[in-house]
Amino acid sequence: MSFFFQELVNGITTGALYSLIALGFSMVYGVLKLLNFAHGDLYMVGAYIGFFVIQFFGGAAKVSIPVPLLLVIMFVLAAGLVGGLGVTIERFAYRPLRDAPRIAPLITAIGISFFLESAALLLFGAQYRVYNTSEFISLSSGIRIGSVTIDSVQILVLAMGLVLMTGLRMLVNRTKLGKQMRAVAGDREAAEMLGINVNFTIAATFFLGSALAGVAGVMAGLLFNQVTNTIGFIAGLKAFTAAVVGGIGSIPGAMLGGLLIGLAESFVTGYISSTYSNLIVFGLLIVVMLVRPSGLLGQVQLQKV
Amino acid sequence: MKGRLVLVAAAVGSLVVAGCSSSSSSSSSSTAAAGGGSSSSSTKTCTASIGIEAPITGPVAPLGTEQLHFAELAVSMDNAANNTKITLVQGDTQLQPAQATTVTQQFISNSAIVAVAGPAGSQEVEAIGGPMGRAGMAFISGSATAVALTTGTYPTFFRVVSKDSVQGPQDANYIVKTLHPKALMIVDDQEAYSTGLVSAMVPVFQAAGVKVDHESVSQKVTDFSALVAKVTAADTVVVLPWQVAANAQQFGKDLAQEHKNAVIFGTDGLFSPGTFTISGSYVSSFGPDITAIPADASIASAAQAKYGSFGTFGPPVFAATHVIDEAISSVCKAGQTPSRANVLTAIKQTNEPTSILGQPISFDSHGDLVNGKFFLFKINSAGKYQLIPS
Amino acid sequence: MSIDSPGPQVGADEWVARQGRRREYLPSWLGRAQRETERIGWWPRLAVAGLAGALLPSVGLGGFQLQVGIDALVIALLAVGLNIVVGWAGLLDLGYIAFFGFGAYGFALLSSAEIGSTGIHLPAYLSLPIVMIAAALLGLGVGLPSRRLIGDYLAIVTLFFGEAFVEFTNNVAPSKLGGPNGITGIDPIRAFGWQLVSNYGYYYLLVIALVVTMAVLRLVERSRTGRAWRAVREDPLAAASMTIPVNRVKLAAFAAGAVVAALAGTIYAAQQASVFPTDFDTPILILIYAGLILGGAGSIAGAAVGALVVMITYDGLLRSSAEAGYLFYGLILLTLLVKLRPWRRLAAVLAATVAFGFAAYAIVKAISATAVASGPQSGGWIASALRDWVIVPANPQTPGNWGFVALIVMLIALVQVGTRWRTILMVPTIYLASFVWETRLVVEPSITRQLLIGAILIVMMNARPQGLLGQRRVEALT
Repeated sequence: MSFFFQELVNGITTGALYSLIALGFSMVYGVLKLLNFAHGDLYMVGAYIGFFVIQFFGGAAKVSIPVPLLLVIMFVLAAGLVGGLGVTIERFAYRPLRDAPRIAPLITAIGISFFLESAALLLFGAQYRVYNTSEFISLSSGIRIGSVTIDSVQILVLAMGLVLMTGLRMLVNRTKLGKQMRAVAGDREAAEMLGINVNFTIAATFFLGSALAGVAGVMAGLLFNQVTNTIGFIAGLKAFTAAVVGGIGSIPGAMLGGLLIGLAESFVTGYISSTYSNLIVFGLLIVVMLVRPSGLLGQVQLQKV
Repeated sequence: MKGRLVLVAAAVGSLVVAGCSSSSSSSSSSTAAAGGGSSSSSTKTCTASIGIEAPITGPVAPLGTEQLHFAELAVSMDNAANNTKITLVQGDTQLQPAQATTVTQQFISNSAIVAVAGPAGSQEVEAIGGPMGRAGMAFISGSATAVALTTGTYPTFFRVVSKDSVQGPQDANYIVKTLHPKALMIVDDQEAYSTGLVSAMVPVFQAAGVKVDHESVSQKVTDFSALVAKVTAADTVVVLPWQVAANAQQFGKDLAQEHKNAVIFGTDGLFSPGTFTISGSYVSSFGPDITAIPADASIASAAQAKYGSFGTFGPPVFAATHVIDEAISSVCKAGQTPSRANVLTAIKQTNEPTSILGQPISFDSHGDLVNGKFFLFKINSAGKYQLIPS
Repeated sequence: MSIDSPGPQVGADEWVARQGRRREYLPSWLGRAQRETERIGWWPRLAVAGLAGALLPSVGLGGFQLQVGIDALVIALLAVGLNIVVGWAGLLDLGYIAFFGFGAYGFALLSSAEIGSTGIHLPAYLSLPIVMIAAALLGLGVGLPSRRLIGDYLAIVTLFFGEAFVEFTNNVAPSKLGGPNGITGIDPIRAFGWQLVSNYGYYYLLVIALVVTMAVLRLVERSRTGRAWRAVREDPLAAASMTIPVNRVKLAAFAAGAVVAALAGTIYAAQQASVFPTDFDTPILILIYAGLILGGAGSIAGAAVGALVVMITYDGLLRSSAEAGYLFYGLILLTLLVKLRPWRRLAAVLAATVAFGFAAYAIVKAISATAVASGPQSGGWIASALRDWVIVPANPQTPGNWGFVALIVMLIALVQVGTRWRTILMVPTIYLASFVWETRLVVEPSITRQLLIGAILIVMMNARPQGLLGQRRVEALT
């Protein structure tokens, strides 16, 4: 039984991480109908930023400032810088293609992905960058219920994930900016005619989505310890999967999708087999998609005549 | 419009003239060198090119870049020691056999290249063995360990590491005899290196009556919490024949975090004193820790200074490149111009009494390293690798 | 390339229509060339291109160029097949690479020693049809979800299928499928006593296969099925109300695409003489998509041309440092040529850049000798021409990295500012580009290859979103 709970905890934690990345992906898709394949690479940039912040303050073993302050700086810096990077990419790569068929920005996104990955390789080098989280957040600080352990980093990830997701939901549903985002996502031309500054709204959406990816990158660094330039590819794929399975364009859907994938991976690896875990998870997801063709929480697509 | 055409023509014309003039000047200087060289062999510069095929970008970029750096180091050190002018040409395979084929064709078409260091993966060797054989060009790998590669199919293939059928059983026997596990978990990383070792080790465990839980996880995965949760109390040993030391480090951290007492046993892919430091773990390696060998101190410090910390994949490629450098140098000393045929012959006759790998290097008739053995290390509480005397 | 050139139409101003058509073509002299060649007709153009391709080796292709050509032709064939699914039927299939792998593995199993004690060794005229028919059935199976799923939801399911194929061949039944070690020792293409053993043979076979496939698809394009596909792509509801059996049409698209991919897979497996799971992973799919869309989705010639251009650049030109250098500097000069309209401006910028370079070099050299200690790292005549022009410090790595970041910032700034500032800022930007190239990029050719292909994709899609030979379309977003 404790095995079940351990796998549950593991699944929810990784699921929370996937949800965060999927959220940003889904937001961008909502306003632009764009599958941003470079989203995973923004996550990778965030992870590198977190690493360099640790190095700046003395390295993992001898951090010169209190750990909570270090974490705050890491998250804020990653969010800000990666958000800015996202806005820049939108302005220069995606805005000119706003009226092009949807498949064109796909290739631009792929080009940006290539570019970001190789720029990271060029600037930061190929070796793995290790966070060594256990040096400044000790392994034994955590909760232990029976033989189920939840360590501090997992708690941090879960807590931050919850806070960010709730905050985002409130932003989208209650604030003016959120309303503008929903309007632009619904019908861009109508929103423009109603006086909404579409460019600003889209830029703000990109900023938020990319900032979320950056924060997720720092969290991944804390959880998984090693950072290299290719981590973005798998993360991007998982984000895409989670967002679509949950219903693309829907924020609660992205959250649900991420959790579902995290739990599925955990339980399938734990109970069935690790060799075939990917295959089985894919199979499960295909079944989910066939049963609910618009995703779990997606709106049923009405076809306009 | 016409003005632009005139401008373009002028620009192109000037570039072409510049190109022709400089290329003609360089060709005249090279003929002068060759002409002067043929008179006395002592003043002739020994010029040749070596190709290196490695996964420099792509899924295992850290590995490939380390291999590339050590090859560059070997070439620069040997050029200084032997007074040769060997240049290195790099080819990126991204660990894909199809790209290895393209890079190999590129090297074969380049007549200046006389031998190749690499490729890294056994699958890549299978893909390029035929063309290399037909071109008569030697290639020495520092990390392709599949047993099938040296059964005579690839006459120009050599390797400076032992094959899976040596490392696998040696490690497995050690585990059975010294660690006495009742049950263990062995996890492969879904690559040929790993599955080869697993198929060599599992029979030894099963013959000794050890309960084996065979798991599998891709190298791209960085989250092992689900897998670690499967480690039972009876599993006293977890065998990780992986190639990414950082992943094993993470696995060890997850083990500690979930309060599991299993000991990690890693194969040579995990030998990485800077990265894999879980206390109490075992690591096997084809060579002693080069940072601990006095003779290798200069190489280790040069590598450290230029490239930072390194693991286990660099030194064998250094050894392979060094073998090729020495072969080229010996061909020049015999008064010949290096060519693929005579370098291949020289490599076959390689007989180095010592090497960076801490053992003599010579090749048997199939290209395998003669008397390759594996050393065992245990990591102490300070994270240092300590050699277990055999 | 317009399929049906519109004659006089009711309700359409002819001059406007003509101007509209003019914008379909590539700009300036390329467009004129395009229109002239269009007068010849599609079939003669295909014949000429095929002949040119076939005669290329006799002009003299080295082993490397031949291999690059073979790789490019395989991807071109795949792009032409993907065009059916994505370009014509409008179905985003992200698992297309699995059909390619299926064809390759199918041929491998039927032509090697894997199955049974000595293996099955069917000759090509048996194994090729068997594999292609099996692939068509598989395509029908994969296409079944398309009845319920549309758009990005279909994309994700096909992506799963693609990933599942790689997982399957890597982990399931390793004794039969070889696991990560794949299947080696595959027979060459054999029929009636002949064998294709050399790369030249496979090159010719691929040219023939590509030409034949393009011809067949051209006939299909103008048939009812082709029109049905285009109707379904534009508006499935309207198509359904015009009695087009939408589901069956989608399935047919999947099956047709699968057949072409399987053909490419069999030739690939025979040429490589081995197949591995990693040969069919997502990075290859990305290359096929890049080629298809860069060339123009919806156009057969566009798919082939785009794929050839992408592969020859990525797999061929960018692999050798010297040619990558030519490409880099050549692209800079080309962009300047195209973008700087009055030629006086172009001359002024070029002259200013040269002068700026010499001045900067002299100033820095006077200040500190180590700052110019190394020479340009690229070989050949470019390096000797640039020796006294570009600053390359003794330890080029860190300044090069900073220069790279500065270059990106400058490029972004260039887009933002007004024309006058842009002309002025172009001078240091070009110098900075050369600086970064000589200090960092040329030293790391493998990384530069990825950087350049990414940059090329971004710039090309921005410049011409419909692709080289594609047509502008307005998509109705549901």
